[in-house]
Amino acid sequence: MTGETSKFDILIVGGGLVGCASAWHLARLGLKVLVAERGHLNSGASGQNAGSLHFQIERRFLEQGEKAAADGARIVTLNRLALEEWRGIEHMLGRPLDVAMHGGLMVAETEAQMALLAFKVARENELGLSTQVLDGAQLRERAPYLSPHLAGAAWLADEGHANPRILVDAFAEGAGEQGARIRTGTALTGLSMARDGTYSAVLSGPDGEMRVNTPRVLLASGHWVPRLAGMLGLNVPLYAAPLMMSVTDRTEPVLPYLIQHVGARLSMKQTEDGNLLIGGGWPSRLARRADGTPDLDRPAAVEMKNLRANLAVAARVMPGLAQRSLLRTWTGTTCISADQLPIVGEIPAAPGLFVAAGGSLFTLGPVLARLLARTIAEGSAPEELSMFLPRRFAHLDAFAVLP
Amino acid sequence: MRRIEQGVTRPEPIAVEIDGASVMAHPGETVAVAVLASASRRFRDDRSGAPRGMFCNMGTCSECTVWAALGTSPWRRVRGCLVLAEPTLRISTRDPESRP
Ligand SMILES: Cc1cc2nc3c(=O)[nH]c(=O)nc-3n(C[C@H](O)[C@H](O)[C@H](O)COP(=O)(O)OP(=O)(O)OC[C@H]3O[C@@H](n4cnc5c(N)ncnc54)[C@H](O)[C@@H]3O)c2cc1C
Ligand code: FES
Repeated sequence: MTGETSKFDILIVGGGLVGCASAWHLARLGLKVLVAERGHLNSGASGQNAGSLHFQIERRFLEQGEKAAADGARIVTLNRLALEEWRGIEHMLGRPLDVAMHGGLMVAETEAQMALLAFKVARENELGLSTQVLDGAQLRERAPYLSPHLAGAAWLADEGHANPRILVDAFAEGAGEQGARIRTGTALTGLSMARDGTYSAVLSGPDGEMRVNTPRVLLASGHWVPRLAGMLGLNVPLYAAPLMMSVTDRTEPVLPYLIQHVGARLSMKQTEDGNLLIGGGWPSRLARRADGTPDLDRPAAVEMKNLRANLAVAARVMPGLAQRSLLRTWTGTTCISADQLPIVGEIPAAPGLFVAAGGSLFTLGPVLARLLARTIAEGSAPEELSMFLPRRFAHLDAFAVLP
Repeated sequence: MRRIEQGVTRPEPIAVEIDGASVMAHPGETVAVAVLASASRRFRDDRSGAPRGMFCNMGTCSECTVWAALGTSPWRRVRGCLVLAEPTLRISTRDPESRP
């Protein structure tokens, strides 16, 4: 791959869920799409995550006080759209994706946690999400394999999980069939804006360097977005969140639901194959460069203390877990934004430059990609995206010099 | 698959039990080697019930996962390529608890 091309309507940087789902939608809308992925498809957070489809307000929004919880509640409107998106995704992509939406429980162990659940459920109901508080007895009736010591749970009928190892491939293959070009082993190594406001990107691939001139660029590169936006002197407030996931050996079907915890970091589910997946946002340890700064290009390391704590919460909630063997623990890095909400849309200081990252973009990725593709194709953002547009951080680019 | 015999000296073999059958292994060899030396060479099953072989032989892929118990101690799941064959070791490639 050498030379220069100007034949693409958009360059998408990153072949994770956001990049490939956006490519799928944009190609169907008739745009000529080029996807450049530095490694192989799905090699980032999209292939490392827990695969939870959680539509209740996440615990991370609840642990920072009521103000943050109220702000976080705004995401419920998006969660409702995501729920609809997941209901139709296997049909849309025309293949099975191990989507299981049999319900989700966010459990509580104490009365204080029950109060937090009640607060959360009230907010969710106001926003049209039909969560429901179950007391201890109701919880035991619904999920007898969970600990008898649990105080109760919030129940949402449509939560569940899907298989992160096959979803991106489905989008990528579909995008390819619609004419999108996908280049793996190909990194964006240079990005500048020309006088006429178009972009000039340098891609380094297996066969050398290539220059791509294009009116639009989408940075769908997860926690690397700030680095790539930095090539244009722009600031996108996303911060790396290195996490851990564990999987046990297979067992007969025991757990049809997604399990979360309102007061502790926990997500738990049983895969189609029978393995139990355990996570919930416990940090792993970022690799460091010699000068002590985080090295985002090397995998994070398992943090034993957090792994033990993660497994302890899981076994407290589901005592039968103690009989299982841990097969593997792995790490993956995602990112959160300055206000915990996804950043999705056009960067005001750089027309034609789009980003989409931050937060739980397995659950939200498919619907955000759809909305983003509309934004790009129609030239303006649909109402549903207004809360997530990069313009809320426009002040950070007040001193950018472009082109 | 056969052990190289020519020009190699090994300690006296020991017997381990794999799925009820006795298999000879030499001290210093792993459980994975013993399974490869058994008649079936089967490690775990995939989701359709088809047998899988080992893959990385260095503890990374978990393809060689089997159940193992030393003497009368409880069954544990182990990666066969990381555990040494020992006298009184029993190995099972299916869940011993769910067997009739
Ligand atoms: C352990 C873990 C558990 C999680 N659990 C959940 C969950 O249960 N539910 C949920 O909703 N979310 C979850 N998440 C978050 C979710 O995985 C991410 O939000 C989502 O996958 C982000 O997708 P992405 O496409 O934006 O990023 P990624 O999948 O990280 O893709 C970015 C891609 O960009 C590529 N790239 C980077 N730099 C360049 C460059 N210069 N040139 C070319 N390509 C480049 C990378 O190689 C990578 O493939 C979890 C995340 C982790 C790590
Ligand atoms: S063969 Fe890969 S872990 Fe043993």
